[in-house]
Amino acid sequence: MLNFIDARCQLGRRGIVREGEPVTKSDILELMDRCSIEKAIAYHAMAKEGDMKAGNDLLLQETEGDERFIRQWCAMPSTFGEFMGAEELAEQMKKHHVSSIRLFPKTHGYSVKPYAMGKFMDVMAQCHVPVFLTYAECGSEDNLYSLLSSYPEVNFIISDASYRENRKLFPLMEQCKNLLLGTGNFVVHGGVKLICDYFGAERMIFDTGLPMGSATAAVALICYAEISEEEKQLIAHGNIERLLADVKL
Amino acid sequence: MRYENLVYEQKPFDGVYVLDVHGHIGFEQGSQLGPHDGKSIVHTMDRMGVDAVCVSYSPGLRGDWKRGNDITAQVCGAYRGRVLGYAAPNPFHKDCDVSEYFAEDRGFVGIKIHGNIQGETPENDPRYAHAFELANKRKLPVLFHAWMPYEIDRAADVARQYPDLKVIIGHGGLTFAREHAVAVCKKYDNVYCDTAISSAPDGSIEWLVDKIGIDRVLYGSDMTFFDCIHTMGKIALAKLTDEEKEKIFGLNAKSLFGL
Amino acid sequence: MLRFIDARCMLGNRCIIREGDPNTKEDILELMDRCHIEKAVVYHAMAKESELPGGNMALVEETKDNDRFIRQWCALPSYFGEYLSAEDFFAAMKEHHVTSMRLLPKTCGYSLRPHVIGKLMDLAAQCRMPVFISLFEELTSDEVYDLCKAYPDVNFVVGNTGYRENRRLGPAVEQCDNLYLGTGNYVAHCGVELFCKYYGAERLVFDTGLPTGSATAAVSLIGYAEISREEKELIAHGNIERLLGEVTL
Repeated sequence: MLNFIDARCQLGRRGIVREGEPVTKSDILELMDRCSIEKAIAYHAMAKEGDMKAGNDLLLQETEGDERFIRQWCAMPSTFGEFMGAEELAEQMKKHHVSSIRLFPKTHGYSVKPYAMGKFMDVMAQCHVPVFLTYAECGSEDNLYSLLSSYPEVNFIISDASYRENRKLFPLMEQCKNLLLGTGNFVVHGGVKLICDYFGAERMIFDTGLPMGSATAAVALICYAEISEEEKQLIAHGNIERLLADVKL
Repeated sequence: MRYENLVYEQKPFDGVYVLDVHGHIGFEQGSQLGPHDGKSIVHTMDRMGVDAVCVSYSPGLRGDWKRGNDITAQVCGAYRGRVLGYAAPNPFHKDCDVSEYFAEDRGFVGIKIHGNIQGETPENDPRYAHAFELANKRKLPVLFHAWMPYEIDRAADVARQYPDLKVIIGHGGLTFAREHAVAVCKKYDNVYCDTAISSAPDGSIEWLVDKIGIDRVLYGSDMTFFDCIHTMGKIALAKLTDEEKEKIFGLNAKSLFGL
Repeated sequence: MLRFIDARCMLGNRCIIREGDPNTKEDILELMDRCHIEKAVVYHAMAKESELPGGNMALVEETKDNDRFIRQWCALPSYFGEYLSAEDFFAAMKEHHVTSMRLLPKTCGYSLRPHVIGKLMDLAAQCRMPVFISLFEELTSDEVYDLCKAYPDVNFVVGNTGYRENRRLGPAVEQCDNLYLGTGNYVAHCGVELFCKYYGAERLVFDTGLPTGSATAAVSLIGYAEISREEKELIAHGNIERLLGEVTL
């Protein structure tokens, strides 16, 4: 069985929970076991849905001493001192062993254009911090292109791209080598093989979107993809391990 | 643990009958798909151990119903028994009559209704009546694209009006409207739910089984919009018994379609 | 009576038809006769609504042996070999005597940025092929301006305009010499007259939007416009003849 590292997992109590869904950290760990997911990059629900700073602090508490979770903070450029400045963010990340950030520009209501992101992204680039966000959070293909092309030295992991975006996504992947695709909801028939054949397995990162996404489906998608074992290993864990090893905080 | 192990070992689902009740073939106007012709889906089915898939021709849903159903018939003929057809009526074309596809054995096993891309036509619109009457007479399944609560309600109305046909609620048993679908299944014995949705979280299939019973849940993939393995993996790794998984993978549908 | 060439007409079996609408090729030819429309630039309903590749070929079949129809193909930038490469698309248009193309960015989910359609636009510029696109259905007025500025060597004919866009389209016409507007839905009171006065009759191209638009209304609009005979001739057929006459495919 392949070993997986999940590049998109949310911990903590979230606003909307439906019966039957995984809710607690134990639920998620049980699913990780069932799906042979060794580790998961985790951010906190409250950092997305409620209070970013408090959510990031909760993540530290909830993952304390648990090596299966690789810490990720939610972040945003600070206006009027609302959030940490970029340098302080980098220092705090180093102190607390946080190795990546996740952006929610749509949820948190800020622009991803360079005028708003400039200083913040410059620091992330200097530290080689990979930046995660979903396609929908970018707001538009125009915003995503702006982000990718303005910061070519930053690796962006874009996940949850629906098949409906393929005709926009594929040209972006060709144009912007710093776009890495999260596999979680990239479920178009033969899609994993297509990306591997045309762009290389190096451009895909396994993720689940737990607890709202399906880990069982996500692992099956890679296990049964019509690609080589070596390519599967890269997608399942190799690529994300390489990115995280390159972080220089 | 049999089906979990298949996934762990990346082995095909041989030895279990797998019938995918929700498939598509053909070009998609709104977005780029991967391989989407008959040959490519049968290749995937061979790799995965899928016995058969029921398909409609996507461009025919949006456009020329006759051409679309004719292409479905061609593919069913080329892959007899592996690719089974849904005949898809168009509510705007007065000459539309899908009965010819069932007049002889052309591989058609049901009807597909996709009103929301046919000018937002309600699923229970009288312009689909000829197809419903045909399905009722032949006791055929009718697969509805029924994502929203109001779409599910209209599909339920068809189940009420035509008690001998079988309604498959496509998607809706696992969307945000799933409680609606469950209520409809409890009210009408001739309503079933498929699993064709990419965004349902883990635990959702188990939830659906708990609410409507194991016999009413059917494996559907939405191939070629999606890769069929996505949902197969979800079922294989679900917290269900092997017997329950076998019913979802194909035994329920085999009985429903009379195969 | 003025002689008209219709720059926007769709042939073929479409999904949504209503009783009484012109639905067949014969219906359209009858309307063209009734409205003194000598020829029509036509694309295929299948290419627009459901299956672009098949629709383009269906157009060739349906217009075979009928010189009243001037062929137009719908364009799709191709990735992973989904459709013809830009070069092959133009070669096929040449082979099948297709003299213009139509963009469907919204319908087909692709971007109008140079990294996506740049090659198609370069080839269109090289052979002076006009490119057609429908407002609202496929893009906004702001995007019309961006499109014309991004590809200044391509002539764009924008159909399905309307009085609500006057304040946006006026400046775009003023600043983009390569922008032409279709008259079909440009029905503001004295709109044609004002347009001719401020921007010149050279920038309007007669179209009907058949079979969903009204040819009878469209010819009346130009026939009764309070502009000179010479201006009417330009709009009715002269401008489109000039644009298509420049094509060197």
